[in-house]
Amino acid sequence: MIRALLDRTDKFLGRGKYSIAVPVMDGPLHPNHKLDHAAHLFDAKDIDNLTLIGTDIWCSSGAALLRVSADGTPEVADTFDAPITCLAASGDGATAIGVDGGGIYIRGGAHNGRHIEKLGGNALKCATAVAFEDDHSLVITVGARDRVHAEWKRDLMTQGRTGEVWRVDLTNGTGKMLAGGLGYPYGICPTPNGLAVSEAWAHRIILIDESGQITPVLEDLPGYPARLVPDTAGGYVLAVFAPRNQLVEFVLREPEFLHAMTTQVPSDHWIAPKLMWGQGFKEPMQGAALKTMGIIKPWAPTWSYGLVVSLDDGFAPVASYHSRADGNRHGVTSVCAQGDKILVASKGAGVCVALSPNAVAEAN
Amino acid sequence: MDVILELKQATKHFRGVYAIRGIDLQLARGEVHAVLGENGAGKSTLMKALAGVHELSDGEIHMEGKQVHFHSPSDALEAGIAMVFQETNLVPSMTVAQNIFLGDEKFLNRLRGLHIDAQQYLLSMNFDVEATALVNTLGAAQRQMVEVARATHHNAKVIIFDEPTATLTPEEKSYFFGLVRRLKEKGISILFITHALEEALQYSDRLTIMRDGSLVESGDTKDFDRDSIVRAMVGRSLENELYGSRKGIEVPVRKPGKKLLSVENVTKGKIVRNTSFSIYDGQITGMFGLVGAGRTETMQIVSGAIKRDFLNGGEIRLDGKPVRYRVPRKAVNDGIVYITEDRKMDGFFETMSIAENIWMGDLAGGSNPASIVTMTKAKAKELAAHWTKKLSIRAINSSAKMLELSGGNQQKVVIAKSLVQKPRLVVFDEPTRGVDVGSIVEIHDLINELADAGIAVVLISSYLPEVLALSDRILVARQGQVVEEMTAHDATEERIMYAAVH
Repeated sequence: MIRALLDRTDKFLGRGKYSIAVPVMDGPLHPNHKLDHAAHLFDAKDIDNLTLIGTDIWCSSGAALLRVSADGTPEVADTFDAPITCLAASGDGATAIGVDGGGIYIRGGAHNGRHIEKLGGNALKCATAVAFEDDHSLVITVGARDRVHAEWKRDLMTQGRTGEVWRVDLTNGTGKMLAGGLGYPYGICPTPNGLAVSEAWAHRIILIDESGQITPVLEDLPGYPARLVPDTAGGYVLAVFAPRNQLVEFVLREPEFLHAMTTQVPSDHWIAPKLMWGQGFKEPMQGAALKTMGIIKPWAPTWSYGLVVSLDDGFAPVASYHSRADGNRHGVTSVCAQGDKILVASKGAGVCVALSPNAVAEAN
Repeated sequence: MDVILELKQATKHFRGVYAIRGIDLQLARGEVHAVLGENGAGKSTLMKALAGVHELSDGEIHMEGKQVHFHSPSDALEAGIAMVFQETNLVPSMTVAQNIFLGDEKFLNRLRGLHIDAQQYLLSMNFDVEATALVNTLGAAQRQMVEVARATHHNAKVIIFDEPTATLTPEEKSYFFGLVRRLKEKGISILFITHALEEALQYSDRLTIMRDGSLVESGDTKDFDRDSIVRAMVGRSLENELYGSRKGIEVPVRKPGKKLLSVENVTKGKIVRNTSFSIYDGQITGMFGLVGAGRTETMQIVSGAIKRDFLNGGEIRLDGKPVRYRVPRKAVNDGIVYITEDRKMDGFFETMSIAENIWMGDLAGGSNPASIVTMTKAKAKELAAHWTKKLSIRAINSSAKMLELSGGNQQKVVIAKSLVQKPRLVVFDEPTRGVDVGSIVEIHDLINELADAGIAVVLISSYLPEVLALSDRILVARQGQVVEEMTAHDATEERIMYAAVH
């Protein structure tokens, strides 16, 4: 009763969980143009989920699985029925490929041909990230239990909290849920202290230990985190696929408006984050100066942004690489450390770029 | 030289400790004379002896060629010497006119006539102050104008200012020196104590430098430069120590530690407008801005001294957890301390001793009220001894009252009073305002030590060389909002100023 009253008071006063405040990008997250200046590797529409198999770069592009040849040209290695949502490779040459609404396929290795369709009796529709713990164990993040990945925006705007983290034994295909009720887990990375998971709608990274205990290790991010991978220096690299925005935070706290918007307006025109903005005149604009004298201001509030964050071994940000409002390498959903370079997949722009060792060293 | 005031072998000691010794000083008619020296050099004692506050132990004062003896400030005023103290001596609950005529009233006074006379008098001096306004509604510069009006109304021929610009904004400072110029044109002699060397060099005709109670040098201002003044004041050159820590020397910028404080869209009326920034452990974050930029108010909100807007006032997170302090005590318990810019008003209890003030800090920092029981006076003395040594607080002993201390030493006590609370975040608001150059170096060293020890430090300063010399990271505020962030390597005076005004 008291909790409900306090909740109503917070709602009326706009504080606590009803505050529409968003954290500022400063300190190690100070904006720059390093993503825009990063070296262009190749173009691929809807590029997502970079991974290294041996020394080769693999990635997904819509429903196609691409392998990048030695001369830097992507070639189609396989095609699926629906867009690929996650990708991982193991030491024994196995590849796990998540398909939107279609579960996870294992190609190569000791469990070649295995198809994980269900987890805990529910169809595996929205595998957002996958990682091999060893050759026989796979950890999977499920963004939303009942939605496909293509509906991520609806899941955000309906404040979905049905995300799960599973461990699957590939020898028999059985799964064990490690955590549930999460706000769209979108990246997973095994660490010595447990599984690090990026929880997009909660703007944080959590650590899940063997007992299922959840410990937040990085909170209050200024964007929605996506894939998390280890780097070669003992730290981690995080892709942030969209910025947080006060207007979106406000809309998320207005249920009637939300309902009307999500039922009556096409999702492209919602007050919601995007992987790329400015692609149609019907797109909602904010009341701030996006353009002055025909020039887009880098600090203008937009629906999309490009951000890659380098973290230390304790998950504290140490450096960041940005593509601001005036840039176009937005919607970074996946990163991959290749030696002292960082490969970045900008899904919004459909391009893969490489942050040079110099840029990485300078930022650190 | 037409000498109006002369001191011969002036000596004053307190309980056997010499404050000034054998001072010879001459002041010409219509001259602006600056008196400089470290804290505790004896400047204020000398001026107070001239103004009749202290009686000299030995030596003579000559006014217009005649020897005079002052037993009280009214004797000095009668002889034509008025003093404007650091803390203005006006009655806040009275009007400007009443303050001007205070001590000079007729037996029967008509308030209307008093106001008209005062207004005419103020206008004749070109002072933009309303005679009917209550003094507690005036700003620092206007109060100083009223003090000056009161002094000249008593036909003062010599006006002594004790650190007149310490609490003034840059605009008010230029107005103040305009006033000094006008007084000089009227043939009034001005003696002013200052710690701002630039002011002494720019506005005075002659200057006198004191050290350890003795006069070290005196002469025409044109014969001095900044370095020669500093050398005379402290007996050594501080060229590389004072604001020099990043000048010509490659000092590594401290990397940010863990994010300790996150200020998100905080709003307080029209003073703080939707401001957002973060503070990291183990770093000095400088905050620069012009007056009215809302820096002080923002950090006061963080430390619970004032409250943010009740409705949609934004969020403040400490270690990622939202906090909202209604009183500073809660913030102190969480490790946030704010060291005020106005130490005389908010920083210490002036009639208490050094030890008692530091003790108060410790008591206020106790999360458990029962700690008052275990906090004995003996422990308080131990604390005072520790901090007096650590911060080189110069006083007769730790039972010396705050009133008796010089500005720099008072500031050190205020800092000790806060540091005794074992903070995690220290906010220094204008830490070296009204502090001598020797103490500035010591305070700067202390700030660096705190950051090196992993404590998050915020330095609010209006003095660009100070911000540049100390900060690892600089935030620039404008109109209630942090608008720019730069690292120490990227920052220049021009860049900071550009961000502060554009």
